[in-house]
Amino acid sequence: MPSPQEIKQRIEAAIPGSRAEVEDLTGGGDHFRATVTAEAFTGLSRIEQHRLVYGVFGEEIGGPIHALTLRTLTPSTISAP
Amino acid sequence: MSSPQFDPVPMAPTPGTGPAGAPPAPEAAGPAGSPVRDAIAEAIAEHRVILFMKGTPDAPACGFSARTVAVLQSLDTPFAAVDILPDPRIRQELSALSNWPTIPQLFVDGELVGGCDIVTEMYESGELEQVLG
Repeated sequence: MPSPQEIKQRIEAAIPGSRAEVEDLTGGGDHFRATVTAEAFTGLSRIEQHRLVYGVFGEEIGGPIHALTLRTLTPSTISAP
Repeated sequence: MSSPQFDPVPMAPTPGTGPAGAPPAPEAAGPAGSPVRDAIAEAIAEHRVILFMKGTPDAPACGFSARTVAVLQSLDTPFAAVDILPDPRIRQELSALSNWPTIPQLFVDGELVGGCDIVTEMYESGELEQVLG
């Protein structure tokens, strides 16, 4: 069962320069919420941004990771007023 | 409140679902050109707004599906809904088709808009209303 820390590390390792904040929503190790900030998201649609993150986990999404709620940001989204 | 806003689409091999009345798929249906995938593609093409979900709009079987239904209903959007639970192949083929791993999935004008997170985010920013408009 993955921990939030493990999810965070895997996202950050797979998407260069990304920063992820991950919480376990239920404490059960299968429902997570992640906020991911990455320069790599620049120019991508939300769908594409989320696909990039889902892609880190492949078949685990819907399997051991029942749900991964995502919020994706680019560094410029954050600094925008 | 009284009239249902959704148009339930039977995705199980119910006679008369598709124009050709696709026969039930054998267990060993291949990944490409499977009747289930064809039925999904057809449903997406035929309904301007269609939600693939767990359960039905009246009885959602998952919190994420429930939230997405609530968003659509709050915008008074008529939408078709497909329950993916009765047949595991629906989810399998849908995800293969859309390149999207989770349920629910909302399609508008044949395009995947997103799952619960994106739909909610777009609702809050007002973008969803524009897309549905």
